[in-house]
Amino acid sequence: MTAAVNIKNLHKSFGNLEVLKGIDLEVAQGEVVCILGPSGSGKSTLLRCINQLNSPAQGTVYINGDPIGFEPLENGDLKKANQTILARQRSRIGYVFQQFNLWPHRTVVGNVVEALRIVKKMNKANAEKIAIERITEVGLLDWKDEYPDTLSGGQQQRVAIARMLAMEPEVMLFDEPTSALDPERVGEVIEVMKELAEKGHTMILATHELNFARDTADRAIFIDEGVIVEQAPAQEFFNAPKSERLRSFLKRMSM
Amino acid sequence: MEFEFRFDIVWNNFPLLLEGIQTTILLSLLTMALGTVIGLFVAIVRLRARKIFALPLIIYVEVFRGTPGLIQIVWIYYCLPILTGLQLDALTSLVIAMALNVGSYLSEVFRAGIQGVDKGHIEAAAALGFKPGQITRRVVVPQAAYRMIPAIGNVFVSAIKLSSLCSVLGMAELMYQGQIIIANFFRPIEVFTVVAVIYLIMAYTTSLFMMYLEYKLAWVNREKVPFWQRFKQISQSAFQIKPQGGL
Repeated sequence: MTAAVNIKNLHKSFGNLEVLKGIDLEVAQGEVVCILGPSGSGKSTLLRCINQLNSPAQGTVYINGDPIGFEPLENGDLKKANQTILARQRSRIGYVFQQFNLWPHRTVVGNVVEALRIVKKMNKANAEKIAIERITEVGLLDWKDEYPDTLSGGQQQRVAIARMLAMEPEVMLFDEPTSALDPERVGEVIEVMKELAEKGHTMILATHELNFARDTADRAIFIDEGVIVEQAPAQEFFNAPKSERLRSFLKRMSM
Repeated sequence: MEFEFRFDIVWNNFPLLLEGIQTTILLSLLTMALGTVIGLFVAIVRLRARKIFALPLIIYVEVFRGTPGLIQIVWIYYCLPILTGLQLDALTSLVIAMALNVGSYLSEVFRAGIQGVDKGHIEAAAALGFKPGQITRRVVVPQAAYRMIPAIGNVFVSAIKLSSLCSVLGMAELMYQGQIIIANFFRPIEVFTVVAVIYLIMAYTTSLFMMYLEYKLAWVNREKVPFWQRFKQISQSAFQIKPQGGL
């Protein structure tokens, strides 16, 4: 069975700063992977490179066997994909941002409906039906006609998750989804993500929520200075960290 | 000796002013329309194209913002034919001159408006599979347009007043017609007062129209208030820290 995500030798630099120094990572179907690491370690950049929000300097990301940002030619070579192909590829990858990024000019339903209508070209009735279902799943049916700026951070993030879910992505990427939230709002978002994990979605999360990673993730990965320092099944990762860098990171995080 | 206001002279010659009003409205509308096209073009090229293409446009904007409108109008009217051999009629050359002036201001308004859209909103659309054109239409334009309206209104109101400079070149617009009446009856105070009130009415009508546009485009019109009530809110919001509705 093809890996849901296959990242091969991924490099990325900003100017002279090399942020990713050759990342290799395979994620199986239905696997939940948490990426941990200090700020600036390259977690977000790795996620952003997966759906080409940042284009990698070198290396390729495959989603269910298809190279993202490339178009395979008949002779097996890869050609840089045009905007239309890239857009179609991105629609298969769900992305949840730290800052939610809901569109302020659309209501909750409007935010969820938008991509179904524009990208999937659904008719209004079908799109709204799906949107309402997803909004109900994240527990915000009563808020469906509100504008994002009237919602709390936790509610906005749940709408953002509903918006992503509605597209039925093959892989879901979460870029520090709870880092911008008030502490008492973190729980409601974690709850939603746990449900998604239980339903068997393939998820990659950059997070600082150690408890979530330990309880929910199948595998945890520690990234520091642009390389994968250590990876292990979640329990083992937290209970028996091997490298000194991970040990001191976990110690600092749990203080 | 007591001064006696003779507004009757103005009323008696009002048909002259009416003709002027028509020409002023024509000049202003053409200037706004062409200026908007120029402004949009300049803003988009400056945002999207390579620096080499942007540089001449930056120079254009700075020159037209940094020199008096009167000189621009006179220069294009007299000098352009000399330099290029291109003989344009008065209306065309005046509209071009004013549109270049208005366009330089508008390009900065548009540029700021487009740049002001949160990059995250654009990335969210890209991540969901929107193509660049779809992002522009569905995410950037609705947000930018709404926020730019008050600034566009400012430039449009200036455009109306700018058109008064065309009187210098004999274009029979409102100011020119007023000056004709003054030359005949030596009554500058009365004539200028009435002319000023007419300009004010045209400017305020423009403001009201922009306010209505803002009201129509406001996505956060949750209360579904009628326009006159919303108008009251906008008029009062100058004294509030956070404007009501809007963003």
